[in-house]
Amino acid sequence: MISNQTIKLSIDKLKTVTKIDFSVRNMEGYMVASTARMEEISVEAARQFAESPADSQELQGYHFFKVMGEEVPEYILIAKGSGEDVHMIGRIAVGQLEDLVLAYKERFDKNNFVQNLILDNLLLVDIYNRAKKLEIEPQVRRAVYIVETRNERDNSAMEVIRNLYGDDDGNLITEVDEKSIILIRRLDDEESYEDLEEAAVGIRDTMNTEAMIDVRVSCGTIVNEIAQVSRSYKEARMALNVGKIFYSQERIHMYRKLGIGRLIYQLPENLCRLFLKEVFTKQQPETFDEETLTTIKMFFGNSLNVSETARQLFVHRNTLVYRLEKLSRSTGLDIRSFDDAVTFKIALMVENYLKYMEKHPS
Amino acid sequence: MASLSLEHICKVYPNGFEAVKDFNLEIADKEFIIFVGPSGCGKSTTLRMVAGLEEISSGTLKIGDRVVNDVEPKDRDIAMVFQSYALYPHMTVYDNMAFSLKLRKTPKDQIDKMVREAAKILDLEKLLDRKPKALSGGQRQRVAMGRAIVRNPKVFLMDEPLSNLDAKLRVQMRTEISKLHQRLGATIIYVTHDQTEAMTLGTRIVVMKDGVVMQVDTPQNLYNKPANLFTAGFIGSPQMNFLDAKVLPDGGLDLGEAGKVTLPAEKAKALLDGGYAGKTVIMGVRPEHLNDDPEVVAKSNSVLDAKIEVYELLGAEVFLYFTTNGSNMTARVNPKTDARTGSEVKFAIDVDKVHVFDKETELTITN
Repeated sequence: MISNQTIKLSIDKLKTVTKIDFSVRNMEGYMVASTARMEEISVEAARQFAESPADSQELQGYHFFKVMGEEVPEYILIAKGSGEDVHMIGRIAVGQLEDLVLAYKERFDKNNFVQNLILDNLLLVDIYNRAKKLEIEPQVRRAVYIVETRNERDNSAMEVIRNLYGDDDGNLITEVDEKSIILIRRLDDEESYEDLEEAAVGIRDTMNTEAMIDVRVSCGTIVNEIAQVSRSYKEARMALNVGKIFYSQERIHMYRKLGIGRLIYQLPENLCRLFLKEVFTKQQPETFDEETLTTIKMFFGNSLNVSETARQLFVHRNTLVYRLEKLSRSTGLDIRSFDDAVTFKIALMVENYLKYMEKHPS
Repeated sequence: MASLSLEHICKVYPNGFEAVKDFNLEIADKEFIIFVGPSGCGKSTTLRMVAGLEEISSGTLKIGDRVVNDVEPKDRDIAMVFQSYALYPHMTVYDNMAFSLKLRKTPKDQIDKMVREAAKILDLEKLLDRKPKALSGGQRQRVAMGRAIVRNPKVFLMDEPLSNLDAKLRVQMRTEISKLHQRLGATIIYVTHDQTEAMTLGTRIVVMKDGVVMQVDTPQNLYNKPANLFTAGFIGSPQMNFLDAKVLPDGGLDLGEAGKVTLPAEKAKALLDGGYAGKTVIMGVRPEHLNDDPEVVAKSNSVLDAKIEVYELLGAEVFLYFTTNGSNMTARVNPKTDARTGSEVKFAIDVDKVHVFDKETELTITN
């Protein structure tokens, strides 16, 4: 429903111009908003008018009007005073309120449509019919972004997104939970994936600087048909999940750049456990001490370069070699060799994934 | 404005990646501090921890006297300017600057006062009615700065704010930021990977690498007295020349076929006292401390022989590129030089300005 405050604001403005008092009642006759106390108009009187077939009526020095929304009466407007002038001004006020109702409905319908679209709740034929009705172009390049806030968000996050990517440019914005804002961006013909990523960085930075909220931004692939938007949404959702597990230090997660993380994310958990069991026959990774873990990460980070890793760890080269040999004895994997290093790296990622899934079973 | 204190700040991500390790820094009120280092060194992560956009894994962060580890970003009294100054495309400059104040429900008259004051400082008064599309890159960046200034924060945090601008505009904006610091008297933390920006803007510079602070000092001291090989190589453009050298029994340096260097007594003593005689060290010399003037060369007892591979005239100076003992070297010499590509040149090394580093620890032995 349209808020009472919005209606009050609207009739207040009308009163400022016309000097006529207005009252808006719901179809049960109860007060919604008013510019003055109109105690002489009872709930019963308003309800009787609502139930009557008349569009307008003059009664006890007041003009009564019905405010329609898609051919169904939504509200009753009461204008104080009698005579032609008040009737005419009342009609103008009705027109304004009807526009408000229509705009609200359109917005509500659009939001509802977008939510159902991304969640795959619509039949193909309905997608195109409703898109046409809501004046959403069906064949346009689009990509879906998910902007997820660290904590439950306040209104400012949505305000920032709406101001960055307004509806007027053909973008669609909605929300599906307390932490995520979904932005379906209409793209220019020349926009590339690099541009998409740049826009994601812009969203993150603006959220940081303006709303002062930490966000992760993910993005699916580009689609050309409205019916494919749900695919882009699912990709963006997957990018967000994979990003949180494998690339937690980053804030921008592009579906096309998920790499091996995406592959692991799609593996069944039991297969992952089996893989870990096969790889780590001797020592399990969760039993590694801090020093070993740091050594392994640094060694991988330096592309298996012993000298550089030793330098960065501030240890002698021989100390590092000793640590790597110790690791080799306890796991059976010598990460100085490329094959073992690949197995080890994937195994650590798989372990990371399983740990995350245990913490977040949903 | 306010001071800041970062005590033993660490950042470890859930996947075990250590982005920042034991970061300690005291920032005085009104200081312009620069975090500089190559990508992935942890400078932006540290800045984001100060902002509250990144959780601090361990350590204590204070703004003024208040510990702010668990304080929400919006309650830290800070403002940020980032590289991507995404302005609201449908809003005027005025509305762009006023937006964050509107979000905070600041009274209209106060918003108006703050926006106009900021616009005056940034020389944006005539552009207040324009939309971002009608602005140049520099003007847009100034609006982004204006969005930060209107908040009247205790601390400004800037993360590579000039990276999106072209070289000419960057130089211009650098001056603007410097002026802004003087006008606002604000505490500013500025992140950059550009050492020229760092040297020209900062009152102090924090050089970072792999999440570790390598050195904190004034620009002049970083240049003249680098504490380690990394800082020596990172600060200065063209970068410092490095050569492996063997320490002679008298404290001099043997560069093999390239020649010998006689160090001043104080430096030679530092090497001998450190037990470096007979060991290999790294000698560092800045390009401007190699002189090809024949008169200077004739008087010097530390001369380097070289064959010039590339001659680069920059107008006020000439860069000569050559290879010595397998290391790429650069000399910054007077444009009147006779040296050209292919010339055999002798360079006098200014031994007072030579730096010597331990080959293993990479720490400075003598500056």
